[in-house]
Amino acid sequence: MTGTFVEVAAVPRPRAVVTAQRPALARRAVRALPPYLFLLPAVGALVVWTYRPLGAALNLSFFSWNLLPTTPKEYVGLDNYRRLIDLPELRNALWLTVAMTGALLLFTVVLPTVVALWTSALGGRGRAVYGALIFAPVLVPPVAGAALWQWMLDPRSGAVDRVLGHPINWIHEVRPAQIAIVVITGWHLLGFAVLVVAAGLSGIDDEYRAAALLDRASRWQITRWIVLPLLSPTLVFLALMTILMSGQLTFPLIDTLTQGGPDSQTTNVYYLLWEYGFQNFDTGFASAAGLLFFAAFGLVALALIRLSDRLTFHDS
Amino acid sequence: MGRIELDGLTRKYGDVVAVDGIDLDIADGEFLVLLGPSGCGKSTLLRLVAGLIPPTGGRVLLDGEDITHAAPARRDLAMVFQSYALYPHLTVARNIGFPLRAARLPRAQVRRRVAEVADLLELGALLDRRPRELSGGQRQRVAVGRAIIRDPRAFLMDEPLSNLDARLRQSTRAQFRTLHERLGTTVLYVTHDQVEALSLATRIAMLDGGRLEQVGTPTEIFDQPASVFVAGFLGSPPMNLLPARLENLDGRVRVRADGIEADLRPGEPDGSVEGVEARDVVFGVRPEHLRLTDGTGRAGTPVLRGVVRAVENLGAEEVAQCAVGGETVQFRGARPLGLAPGQPVQLATAPDHIHLFDRGSGRRLVWRPHPARTAPATPRA
Repeated sequence: MTGTFVEVAAVPRPRAVVTAQRPALARRAVRALPPYLFLLPAVGALVVWTYRPLGAALNLSFFSWNLLPTTPKEYVGLDNYRRLIDLPELRNALWLTVAMTGALLLFTVVLPTVVALWTSALGGRGRAVYGALIFAPVLVPPVAGAALWQWMLDPRSGAVDRVLGHPINWIHEVRPAQIAIVVITGWHLLGFAVLVVAAGLSGIDDEYRAAALLDRASRWQITRWIVLPLLSPTLVFLALMTILMSGQLTFPLIDTLTQGGPDSQTTNVYYLLWEYGFQNFDTGFASAAGLLFFAAFGLVALALIRLSDRLTFHDS
Repeated sequence: MGRIELDGLTRKYGDVVAVDGIDLDIADGEFLVLLGPSGCGKSTLLRLVAGLIPPTGGRVLLDGEDITHAAPARRDLAMVFQSYALYPHLTVARNIGFPLRAARLPRAQVRRRVAEVADLLELGALLDRRPRELSGGQRQRVAVGRAIIRDPRAFLMDEPLSNLDARLRQSTRAQFRTLHERLGTTVLYVTHDQVEALSLATRIAMLDGGRLEQVGTPTEIFDQPASVFVAGFLGSPPMNLLPARLENLDGRVRVRADGIEADLRPGEPDGSVEGVEARDVVFGVRPEHLRLTDGTGRAGTPVLRGVVRAVENLGAEEVAQCAVGGETVQFRGARPLGLAPGQPVQLATAPDHIHLFDRGSGRRLVWRPHPARTAPATPRA
């Protein structure tokens, strides 16, 4: 018998590829539409309530105007910005804003972490009661809270001075007034921050703690080496919120308690802006200040978001 | 040393008993596999030993010392988790070195030990990576590295291979065996995979519903399953289990069911016995212990008669599903079996390969000659 070895034939490939026809353009457009329709209300609200006023503020910042409809706006170019940068009060207000924000971080990052770590060991009902107690101040409206604190901070007859047994004029002395603003704002925010940290803690897989326990790590080592690093994105988020919001959050207190005093020593940048805009009616100047702060806070936010991204560890 | 004794260990969740009075003595250096289906309490049992959950009853002893209420850190056990639980923010080197760092060993010593372990597990090139940059198999090795770096008294492993693909599982099994031979440390290993259990274990503890069904070497568990549950869990396909009736027919012990007729020959050579009472049993035979016959064999050879329903190609072998009486019998043999659906078949087996279980309790029946008889007899079926 004679023969030869022959290769097994390869799986044949199609010679002419027929591509299915795409549906008509109109049909594709209708199909693609629903997601955009869902987005429309949110985008609309953003445009009307945020971007349009922002544009208006940008426009106003190049004019001098006292907010009276009868007075014509006068174009001044970059004058408003120049005046703003030369303003000595601005430097003072900026420095105060930074200091107050730094002090507030104690109440929105450090204390909540400590409280949440302690209470995470509590179980069941105890934890719920504790959480409710600590969250309660969040529900008090800022202005109502400010009014209550005003009574309690009354020199001599107020509850705070009586407890301390030492008369301090909380609202009319520089340092006590600053401390009062920070502590009361912190009291308002603490509950919310604890809630956020607790949520962050519950997002950390229990297996890491179990593994670390079996690796013979102490409670402190687990907190220091496992829990805090994994919690860091949450903490950065809280820091970001504090930095971006502290101006607005302290505003009602400053306005109710101290009106920026004594001697402008509780005037932060937002209060300064408000004074120029709605007390001196220097609208163009206030708009310029607003835009400058907007840009500065935007940069800070960007930096912190970058940091947060780098700190986020994706679970396997 | 690493002898673990469990003494009536129990864990209840409300009315549910997850682990029900487990007595188990794991000798130093043993590789004991806890095997069972999901929900049988094997992982709970492992966590009780680790100290991650407290028992509601019973004791855990490590080298004779009662550690039932000792904190996990004080037990000197290392665990490999099913999820591996690698710290996601730490590099491979830091993950492996974590137990030593926690023990406050000098930095240089930690680095040296990490390098040794990484060498052993072929992780040297990956030391600076983070867990998310590793493949499943690499993560699994890091988890093992973190466990072995400390030289604990015993390893606890919770389904460590379940997240790997089939090929990797096979090679990792071989690595585990080598590692155990090399380190000689006690291993308590949880799995639902019978192949892992049979190939790795020095002893297997089969669990069902929180209770021990059988404890024995892989050979014992496979060849002499103590209950219908064990018999039906092991093997692929698992043992054929069919309801049947045990009878004493003319002095011979015979098992009968629709389509099945099998003479057992306890107490050979003549096989004649007295006093065996008729009872309902479960008749068991493994698919690989069946063979095709034309029915002309020796009279009394156990025979199953049925019809082929389907034939499954497994590559090297084929499995035929056959209808015998009202039941399905699986028959496994080298390919080709030469069978087609609809074809009538006769399957024979050896009396040695027949397993009998009590129909009510599900426990295995073994032959015990009466003490009066002096003839040498081997327990059978």
